[in-house]
Amino acid sequence: MSDDGSLALLLVGPAGGIGLYWALYRYYRNTDKSHAFERESKVDAKPVTGTDIKVGTNNGTRESSIKGNNVSDYRERVERIRSDSS
Amino acid sequence: MSDANNPPKFTGPGSPRDVPPQPGDHGIDPYNSAVPAPIREELLKPDPVALETSAKELKDGTNQCPQCGATDIRQKPGTDLLICAFCRHEWQGQRVEEEFGLGEGQDQLEGTIIASGARDIAADEAVLRTFKCNCCGAEVTINTESEMTARCHWCRNVFGVNQQVANGAVPDAVLPFHIKKDDAIARIRQFVDKRRFFALKAFKEEFTPENVIPVYLPYMIVDGKASAVVAGKGEIETRRYTRGEGNSKTTYYDADVYQVDRQVDFTVDDLPLESSSERANLNTNTNTNNIINTIQPFDTKNAVKWNASYLRGCSSEKRDLDVENMKPRLVDQLLSIARARVEGSVNRYGRGVRWEKEGLKVHGSRWVSMFLPVWLYSYWDGNMLHYIAVNGRTGETMGSVPIQQWKLILVSLTAGTFLEGLVIWGMVVSS
Repeated sequence: MSDDGSLALLLVGPAGGIGLYWALYRYYRNTDKSHAFERESKVDAKPVTGTDIKVGTNNGTRESSIKGNNVSDYRERVERIRSDSS
Repeated sequence: MSDANNPPKFTGPGSPRDVPPQPGDHGIDPYNSAVPAPIREELLKPDPVALETSAKELKDGTNQCPQCGATDIRQKPGTDLLICAFCRHEWQGQRVEEEFGLGEGQDQLEGTIIASGARDIAADEAVLRTFKCNCCGAEVTINTESEMTARCHWCRNVFGVNQQVANGAVPDAVLPFHIKKDDAIARIRQFVDKRRFFALKAFKEEFTPENVIPVYLPYMIVDGKASAVVAGKGEIETRRYTRGEGNSKTTYYDADVYQVDRQVDFTVDDLPLESSSERANLNTNTNTNNIINTIQPFDTKNAVKWNASYLRGCSSEKRDLDVENMKPRLVDQLLSIARARVEGSVNRYGRGVRWEKEGLKVHGSRWVSMFLPVWLYSYWDGNMLHYIAVNGRTGETMGSVPIQQWKLILVSLTAGTFLEGLVIWGMVVSS
């Protein structure tokens, strides 16, 4: 077995302990809960429009998904387009 | 060109030195025959007004039974009905949805429409309000910070704060409690029973769900019409391959990168926002307000026109935020809703999308101030106030149970050590 593999296995114990602590903490304190207004509000939307233009390639990467994937992190704010009037 | 040392005097209308005209005074007489008809029409058009929701019939504070005239009115438990304690006559409050047309016209919204109960709070408006009892003339003081009804200590006449005073205490509408106290107690007990083992010892010893109290919390219910744009990069996998041998095998990916742009127009109906600055602070490091936030949504469509009699025997919290203070939060939530709406349109990007820019234009919004019903049980652990809250309409329950930290750490350490022991044993056996 390689050194990397052994090290990863040795981390299973501490990771399991921390994971159990965190899971139980959340179950009792519910610090991760809030109103899911994205799903639970009555929203009437027109069909989504837009464009998709190929701009390049990302070959030979070891990452299984795009760096900074935030497609489901609805509440994570990104740079605001300044022309808005909100 | 004018001399720089002797600038011309401001003379005409609109000069910053002029005293502003009276409201409604345009400086032009619309009835003058010299004024062209289109201008006359424009001048005579009524000014835009906010939605007027005040209950004029209750302005003197007295809510009388329509049958016998008694003032001892309260909510019939578990219903939206009001009942007279004297003659047992029952009647239904008017639903604001139909009364003020709040359930329609979201796609026609333009600008900011504010209902009269959601108007800005006057800075000099007192929290303690004195009312003259219209039965005996005595003066009774009500602390509108937490109470909206009082009984005259001389003649026992009951009256409420029904007039929309400018201190933010009286909302446009109220959603009456449906969940009864016994039900709320049972739900809180069930919630805590599932979280007893690691709960703080003192919390378990002092746990008395019978102390739960009914509280009306202030919210703004917002309808909105908006357009959003988002832009970013998306990747589609074109090839997957592995290199290396045995344990050093590594998987590599090739992907095409796309510039992705999306636009969506949408309307939102009855988005609830906390209008108390304390409740709106959802920092879980310092408070447990997220618990109260979680028990939403409420069936706000069934809210009835404000009547202080619904608050008999209940506590209430005063609104302290104005619409302008809350607009950034509305924009934030509308952006989140837009991001959720466009997610389905980027499914083809199997490696995901990284949104990099977003923008929002709010075409119109309508703000209605509302009291929503919450059963609240609280516990102070010496560091933080922990809430267990029950939605007064749906019964949805959520809570924060304080933890006996040493117990949880000990169990986690034991579990971690056991796992580590298993791993080491496995490594020894396999070598």
